[in-house]
Amino acid sequence: MIFTNSFAANSWDSVAKSQEKGFFDFEFITWMAWTWQTATFFLFIVLCFVIMVLWEKKKPGGSPRKGILGLDTTRGDRLFISLLSSAYIHLGWLGLIGPMLWIATIISFIFAIFVFRYV
Amino acid sequence: MNKTVNQKAWFFVIPVFVLVAFNAIIPLMTVVNYAFQETFGNNQFMWEGTRWFKQILISERFHAALGRQVLFTLIILAIQIPLGIFIALNMPKEGLGVPICLVLMSMPLLIPWNVVGAMWNIFALPDIGFLGHSLNALGFDYNFTQQSGDAWFTTILMDVWHWTSLVVLLSYAGLRSIQPAYYQAAEIDGATRWAVFRHIELPKMKKVLTIAILLRFMDSFMIYTEPFVLTGGGPGNATAFLSIDLVKMALGQFDLGPAAAMSLIYFFIVLTVCWVFYNLMMRNESNS
Repeated sequence: MIFTNSFAANSWDSVAKSQEKGFFDFEFITWMAWTWQTATFFLFIVLCFVIMVLWEKKKPGGSPRKGILGLDTTRGDRLFISLLSSAYIHLGWLGLIGPMLWIATIISFIFAIFVFRYV
Repeated sequence: MNKTVNQKAWFFVIPVFVLVAFNAIIPLMTVVNYAFQETFGNNQFMWEGTRWFKQILISERFHAALGRQVLFTLIILAIQIPLGIFIALNMPKEGLGVPICLVLMSMPLLIPWNVVGAMWNIFALPDIGFLGHSLNALGFDYNFTQQSGDAWFTTILMDVWHWTSLVVLLSYAGLRSIQPAYYQAAEIDGATRWAVFRHIELPKMKKVLTIAILLRFMDSFMIYTEPFVLTGGGPGNATAFLSIDLVKMALGQFDLGPAAAMSLIYFFIVLTVCWVFYNLMMRNESNS
C-alpha cells in the first residue's frame, strides 16, 4: 500500500507495532497525520476556492449587495459566512444532539444556499 | 481611463503565500488532522472521529475556562476603554507636557510580556513585594498565590497597567484630529462639557475606539504569558484562561487530540469576533 501511514489506516491493534513504510511516508506527511476524511475536507475547501475563481471569471465584480443582515457582502464574504456558520452548526449539533452528524451537514448546505441568496 | 488588466502581479504574492503556508496553513491543517485522531507519539495515529469535539463541547473544564476568559476580557475592556478615554481627555494638548506624557504612556507597552509578568509577580508578593506587603500592612488579607480573588485582582491590575496606554494613545490621536472649529461652534452654542464629549469627541473617536476595542479584545482573549508567569493559572484553576488551559492539556497531559479540538473551537470564536469587528470598521469607513 502506498498510503500505509499517510492515511492513518491504523487501528488500536497496530499500536506500538512497527509498520512498513509506504511510498508517501516521508517525514513531512507522517508528521501531519493525514487521514482521508480530513484530506477530503480540505479538498472540498480548495474546490470551493476554485469554484469562486471560476465564478469570478464568469461574472466579475463579486456581485456586491446589501443583504438582509444589513451588511455589504460580496460572494467571498458569503462563502466565509457559510463556512463559518457550518462550523457552528456542526459544533452545535455535536454538543446538543450528538448522533447523525450528516443532518448537520445537510442543514449547513441549506443554510449556505440561503446565505448566498439573501445575505 | 482604461486600466490594463495584468494578472501576472499575482506572482508577487507567492513569497507571502509560501510564508503563510508554513507558519499558518500547514500547522492549522495539522491541528485539524490531530483533532480527529488519538496519538501516543511515535507518529502513530488512531482515528477517533468527532469524539474529541463532543468531549470538549460538554466538558465542564472547557466551559469553566471559556467563562473565565470571557469574564476576564469583559472586565478589562470595561476598565481600560473608559479609563483610556478619560486619561486621553485630560492629557495636555500642547507644550512640554505632551512628549513627557506620551513617553510615560508608551513605557508599559515596550516591556515584554514575560517581564511584565515577572515584575508584577515580585511586586505583588505578600511578604517582600511592595504592593503585597503594603496591602497587608494596611490590613487587607492579600495573597495572590493562595486566594483566587486576589489572583484575579492582580491579573486585572497588571493588564490594566500594561495595556491602558494603548487605548490612551489611540484615543489621544483621535482627539487631536478633531478640527478646532467644532469646539468653537460648541462654545458659541453654549454646549456643556458632557455635550461636547457626547456629540463631538465620541463620534470622532469612533474609528480609533473600534480598533482599540478590537486590539484589546484579541490580546486579552488570547492572553497567555502574563498570567502564566504571574499566577501559572492558579491558585487551582482560578486564573487558567483558555490558552493556559489549552497548553496544560496539550503539553502537560499530552492530550493532543482534545487539545486540537479545543484550539479549533477557540479559533472559531476568535475568527467570528474578528469578522464582526471587521464589519463594524467597514461600516464606519463607509459612513464617513
